[in-house]
Amino acid sequence: MFPLSLHSYYSLMRGTSSPARLCQLAKELGYSGLALTDCDTLSGLWPFLAACKQEKLRPLVGAEITEPGSDERVICLVKDSTGYINLCNLISRRKRAGNFSLEKQVGEYGDGLLVLSRSSVLLQSLQKQGIDLAADLGSWPTEQGGRLRRWAEGRNIPAVATPAAALGEEKDRDLFLLMQAIRTNSRLEPETEKGRPVPAWLEAPSVYRDRFAVWPGVVAASRHLAERCSFSGPSFGIVMPPWKGKGQDVAAALHRDAYRGACKRYGTDLSEAVVERLEYELRVIDSMGFSSYFLVVRDIVHRSQGKKNHRPARICGRGSGAASLVAYCLEITNVCPLKHNLYFERFLNPGRLDPPDIDIDFAWDERDAVLDQVLQEYGSHAAMVSTHVCFQPRMAIRETAKAFGMPPGEISGLSKRISGLRRERGKTLLSSLQNLPALKGEKLVSPWPQIVALASRLIGIPRHISVHPGGVVITPGAVTDYVPVETAAKGVPVIQWDKDSAEEAGLVKIDLLGNRSLGVIRDTIAAIEESGCSFDEEYWQPEDDIQTRKTVAEGRTMGCFYIESPAMRLLQQKAGTGDFEQLVLQSSIIRPAANDFVREYVRRLHGGEWLHLHPQLAEVLDETFGLMVYQEDVSRVAVALAGFSHARADGLRKVLSKKDRELRLRDYQQEFDGGCAARGVDAETRKKLWQMMMSFDGYSFCKPHSASYARVSFQAAWLKTHYPAEFMAAVISNQGGYYSTFAYVSEAKRLGLRVLPPCVNESEIRWKGKGSKKSIRVGLMAVKGISTEVMGRIIKCRQKQSYTSGVDFWQRVQPPKDESRALIQAGALDGVTTEKNRTRLFWELSQFHCLARRQKSTPLFGVQLPDAPHLQPLAPRELLRREYRMLGFFCKGHPLLLCGVKLQGRTRASELVHCKGKQVSFAGWLLSGKLVSTKSGEAMEFLTFEDETGVVETTFFPRVYRRYASHLFAGCPYMLRGRVEEEYGAITLTVEGVRRL
Amino acid sequence: MLDRSIIHLNVTDFAVAVERLQDSSLKRMPIIVAPQQAARALVYDMSEEAYGDGVRKGMRLDRARRYCRRARILMPRHKLYRKAMGALVSKVIHYTPLLEQGEEDGHLFMDVTGTHRLFGPAPDIAWRLRKQVLKELGLDPVWSLASNKLVSKVASRMVRPLGEYIVGAGEEAEFLAPLPLSLLPGLSCKEVGLLRDFNLERIGQLAQLNREQLAVPFRGRGEYLYDASRGQDRTPVLPGGTADTKFSREYHFEGDVVEQRELQGVLTSLVHEIGRQLRQEGKVGQRIGVSLTYSDGRVAVRQATQAGGTDNDFHLRQLALTALSRAWQRRIRIRSCVLACDRLLPRSRQQTLFVLRSCRELQQEKMVTAMDAVCARFGSGSLRLGTAL
Repeated sequence: MFPLSLHSYYSLMRGTSSPARLCQLAKELGYSGLALTDCDTLSGLWPFLAACKQEKLRPLVGAEITEPGSDERVICLVKDSTGYINLCNLISRRKRAGNFSLEKQVGEYGDGLLVLSRSSVLLQSLQKQGIDLAADLGSWPTEQGGRLRRWAEGRNIPAVATPAAALGEEKDRDLFLLMQAIRTNSRLEPETEKGRPVPAWLEAPSVYRDRFAVWPGVVAASRHLAERCSFSGPSFGIVMPPWKGKGQDVAAALHRDAYRGACKRYGTDLSEAVVERLEYELRVIDSMGFSSYFLVVRDIVHRSQGKKNHRPARICGRGSGAASLVAYCLEITNVCPLKHNLYFERFLNPGRLDPPDIDIDFAWDERDAVLDQVLQEYGSHAAMVSTHVCFQPRMAIRETAKAFGMPPGEISGLSKRISGLRRERGKTLLSSLQNLPALKGEKLVSPWPQIVALASRLIGIPRHISVHPGGVVITPGAVTDYVPVETAAKGVPVIQWDKDSAEEAGLVKIDLLGNRSLGVIRDTIAAIEESGCSFDEEYWQPEDDIQTRKTVAEGRTMGCFYIESPAMRLLQQKAGTGDFEQLVLQSSIIRPAANDFVREYVRRLHGGEWLHLHPQLAEVLDETFGLMVYQEDVSRVAVALAGFSHARADGLRKVLSKKDRELRLRDYQQEFDGGCAARGVDAETRKKLWQMMMSFDGYSFCKPHSASYARVSFQAAWLKTHYPAEFMAAVISNQGGYYSTFAYVSEAKRLGLRVLPPCVNESEIRWKGKGSKKSIRVGLMAVKGISTEVMGRIIKCRQKQSYTSGVDFWQRVQPPKDESRALIQAGALDGVTTEKNRTRLFWELSQFHCLARRQKSTPLFGVQLPDAPHLQPLAPRELLRREYRMLGFFCKGHPLLLCGVKLQGRTRASELVHCKGKQVSFAGWLLSGKLVSTKSGEAMEFLTFEDETGVVETTFFPRVYRRYASHLFAGCPYMLRGRVEEEYGAITLTVEGVRRL
Repeated sequence: MLDRSIIHLNVTDFAVAVERLQDSSLKRMPIIVAPQQAARALVYDMSEEAYGDGVRKGMRLDRARRYCRRARILMPRHKLYRKAMGALVSKVIHYTPLLEQGEEDGHLFMDVTGTHRLFGPAPDIAWRLRKQVLKELGLDPVWSLASNKLVSKVASRMVRPLGEYIVGAGEEAEFLAPLPLSLLPGLSCKEVGLLRDFNLERIGQLAQLNREQLAVPFRGRGEYLYDASRGQDRTPVLPGGTADTKFSREYHFEGDVVEQRELQGVLTSLVHEIGRQLRQEGKVGQRIGVSLTYSDGRVAVRQATQAGGTDNDFHLRQLALTALSRAWQRRIRIRSCVLACDRLLPRSRQQTLFVLRSCRELQQEKMVTAMDAVCARFGSGSLRLGTAL
């Protein structure tokens, strides 16, 4: 028996096991190979091929193709490379074309495929079209199967038994039922004897032999059919995007353009260093066949600006590609690799087998247009890379709870509090959940324990395919000749492979990503120019500006790209340097597993004594104070001390960021140990070096990436320093920063800006900053519940004449009633009334709608409302409460001040600097928090609070965090009791007690 | 027209009061009444002390426990509460036949208009009743007297948990004016929101608006608000059991359920009870309605009809299941269900001439008759359909 039809979990809710688990099971059951036939997809192809290699099984590539609107389906197995191309095209057709018929399309793409079907009608039709066929009898001998077998025998079509398994093992039955409930959006019903088809699982060959003993030959047929399929996986080599160079030699064109760009960057008299580096890079690029890649990326970046050969102003080329001088000369990246000593081998080296990629950031709201342009230009040769969205603990619990019929409020109530949930090793998900400090004191009553137990088995299973944030592949032939293509919800073509699979297949990816801060910088500069100030970007060197450096050194960088998080601001304060080089280093050293090294870095920066762990590391780690800071430091240390080749060292660097690294890491560790030992490095040093390498666990950056980001950070910091009003308005308008609008508004107030309330006569849709008046006007977008259409109408209708009254406004703009109410509550209509009495405005709104109701349409002319009754204006406190509900912040004052006498005895944020080492009570408004684990795995949290005078970073150590976590909510006031700590000038509060105000 | 005298009698926290009667050690102790063995039980009733700690009716028991850790949790004993309610009614019924009562909630409206010569002035009746109920039943009700149900109810709300209040005829508006609008019964959340927008907080402020003005934001409801804010209410005291236009049964799950089979089983039991009532009273029902209360409190009601009506359990069950599938459209657990049968017709004793019934139908009819006979002899729960289990 050779299992010819199996679903893995890549069938998306139609299979329970991973390809690796299926292969493991097949091996255990004694099969020599297996076919993976996922439902209309080849998403699991590369994990399947890797697992077969691991288990030494023979892979058969295939897919189950369904017909929309019917139960008809066929299994297609690939016989040769033509069959593979046809299968990719067939699946793409199934996924993308509206009128898909198995009979027609399988006939069209059947060459090179072996097709198995349970329908005699379909088999008959396909036989006439000359398709290689077999009759699929399924996993049990049934009456229908018997008829099919007899029919097939009469037509010389082999009949074959198949496992038709959606499950790997029998114990996955309840998981499968849950998946069905999630897929069909229905309630989970227990498996009953009747009425529900029992899904099949992979069983031992002997089971099928016994089961099909009545039909001799149908089991053996599976082996014979498998032997006819010689295809064992595609091998494309590296697939480069083709450059449309009108017959030019690609290498020569790159050489010419790189030199032309170099002259522009460095002047016509190029230094020896530049020429040497350029020549070296061009040689490597050419030898590895990457010339066209650079030119294609250059074309995309430059075309997006609409002006060829003009410096692209609003991009940020990042990632390892920024280490390339060629990329810098082609104006794909913005930092000079020579000036900042960037390591080109991190990007390309002669031994590197996998294709590197170049990442380009565009302003977040311009990125989609760039993508559309690329997809349009390259047509069927371009598609986006997919992301396989897998169940994470929170999503798994939420979806399972829905299937169990739990009310939405209860589900969201729980899932809001379990954001930090992850499955800990050796613990069940339930115990991890119950240990969460945020759920302290809450007992999970039935059916929650069952829900969590079942949900834990969903974790890691792909839920659906989504679009990678910006990965595009461009291929010389049609993309569908390499990989099946689907159409994503937002209408773009997307390949069925995720970035790892695409890389495995050799498809070179270009990342075109969206970046909000580029939008912030663009908008700020536009606002500066609009206000009449001149701004020359060509000669803009924010890194050299003393005031900007001071801003960075003091950590006053809320709103600035990448350096606004509490951890980064504290590090800047501790470092106190504010220079570009250190910022590059700091933005890389701040990573989840490197806390100890951050502390050590600050100590060494301030003159603390240190020595290299090994003298040979001096060359590698001198600029980083002997610490491994950048990704490439791992590779460079491995090369320098353990004698790794560049390619092998790069492999070690890459494996550190993989989820399933443990097994592979063990080999690397042995090799590293062996290599170091052979070069006389002692065991203690080896251990310390390896530990430092492990701090790159999770995410980490390479230096070129950090340098590219640091440049954007400095630009933002410069704008904040010199044009705070315009900058803060742009930060809030572009949204998506680290903090809430509330926090940014407070920051604006601290910068001395007046926050003017929303007004239908004054506000634009976006926030508007006016440096000359030291004010920012709240944009209409800040009022909750106002649609884009209404905002547009408000702006359009006031162009002729300002609104003179509530009625005038409603008559001309015609907003829905609830949006009118929101505008009144937010105070946006205060400017059109003389009394500023919002209760009266509410009454007039009711009168207006009453009139419209009676007239059965909105009154267009001369509405005269009857006199309103005498209504008392709302109390100031109620006005503020309503404003806060609609806007999420106070335009004047701070909500904390409403706590009145409860604030007695507090120390303000601005006074903490004088209370070092003392116990204080601090009243603060909770802004944000970052949950972390201690070395012993205990949860603790760094929380950011503010009062009307400043922001305070606090530390909740595990004991205190456990006690108070369930009472801490962002956007609420608390009285904190704790000790003021000072480290290298940075002030923090270590909290010991919390009371809600 | 004669001024009416309406007494509103209210034993606050009725279930708790009854439980305290049974066990005097519970007095002054915070009490929560809820089915505690159910994992996801809701609070049925609570004492004033527990209310003070934030516990509310319909709240999840685990949350209520967190709010009031010192509370003693008691299982609801609906039979006992119904019995206590019956005893309360038996004390009141001597004074007036015009008596409107809740099922087991300790609320009673009595219309004692014109009983002066028999029992003396209305306040005396109320005083006497309170003393009598306290002495004979051990329950201490709040009472209020006014010229209509609305004002008497507001007066009770104002004085609870203990006390009495008399609003003289013609003093209604004056009485209501300083009270907060939250005491006015029958306001929807949306109406409360609108009143807040206009910064109206007291009933008297609402009463300053005329009918035309009230019609602006509240449309048709303006009439009610106009009358209510002035203490005008003409609704009669409706003695229970007079409207016999439908038969209904209700079932509360101890926790909540998601399995269709369980819900179908409960409906089958309810169908059997309603079917028996129909057959006993010689009626057939043309429409079966199923009302489901989801775990989040939302209610869905759907019906299924059969022309000509039926009293056969099997047919009624089929209708109920159809209505169930129409009602249970959300993917959410069910807390309780109500089965109602209406559009009742007298059963025709004449057999149909032209429609031949199938053998199966005849068998089902015989079976229903046999089941009725068994239930009549051994009690209503003695025999059930297997699907009801």
